[in-house]
Amino acid sequence: MNESSREAYNAARIKALESLLIEKGIITSETVDQVIDFFEKDMGPFNGAKIVAKAWVDPDFKQRLLEDTPSAIAQMNLPRGMAGAEGEHMKAVENTPDVHNLIVCTLCSCYPWPVLGLPPYWFKDPTFRARAIREPRKVLKEFGLDIPETTEVRVWDTSAQIRWFVIPERPAGTEGWTEEQLATVVTPEAMQGAAKVQVPTSI
Amino acid sequence: MQIKFEQFVTASMLGHQDAPPRSNGELLFQIDWESRAFGIAIALSKKGHYEWEDFRQELIVSIAEWEANHCQDDPNWDYYQRWLLALERLVCELDLIDIEELETRTQQLLKPNF
Repeated sequence: MNESSREAYNAARIKALESLLIEKGIITSETVDQVIDFFEKDMGPFNGAKIVAKAWVDPDFKQRLLEDTPSAIAQMNLPRGMAGAEGEHMKAVENTPDVHNLIVCTLCSCYPWPVLGLPPYWFKDPTFRARAIREPRKVLKEFGLDIPETTEVRVWDTSAQIRWFVIPERPAGTEGWTEEQLATVVTPEAMQGAAKVQVPTSI
Repeated sequence: MQIKFEQFVTASMLGHQDAPPRSNGELLFQIDWESRAFGIAIALSKKGHYEWEDFRQELIVSIAEWEANHCQDDPNWDYYQRWLLALERLVCELDLIDIEELETRTQQLLKPNF
């Protein structure tokens, strides 16, 4: 089968499967919709991006976020996924010219998805985790981040007790942007401290 | 600690060979049927028709079958093709549906003007 006929076959196959399961009363399409909705709307880096954007424009909010992260987040009326236990025990740390924070996860199953979205493949790689603790500057350099010697690097190990996330530095060239505009440039990697926030040159 | 079933499912796969493709912190679906297949497999387990681990094992087997016959960087690799195969096998093994009725329905849907 060529590519397009294979895709047509797969699409028909899954449609056939779902329609049979529904006719037999095994599942409803609403159940399936709810599952997909959860992944598309409730769980993703967009929540974290909104939090970061608000912190950039509202210094009082940023202060509260750094002091008591869960209560600051609770004031934001984020979608229901945020109310899950994965969003609790969150602790925000701020990147500044003096301090660069990097989040790792040596035990895992404790990654704060509701805020950061799903982790990139390397995040759970044991080699990455071990090296990030041992030689964070070198690891960051491999990610394309050259942290000056004058900037302190702090590595935070996320756990079931505390789930860390990074408020990255607001990039230059975003003066006057709205929160909504700012939220679009915040990536999961930036909230792990593995990247800086980039402003697309097309804007 | 209480977590949502969907979060439990994600945790079980991340960092393992059966982890789904993702991009910028979100699941990466390249075509409509992939998200449907994803949702159906999770919904069936959520409703108690099988243990999530049973689906994972079926998925791991179908991925291993591909890997046994293809190079690591084969451009035809398709995660959701393996997912679909695992789902089909499991629902048939559990007699939730019959493989022949699935085949018949698929062919009907493929016919033009159906």
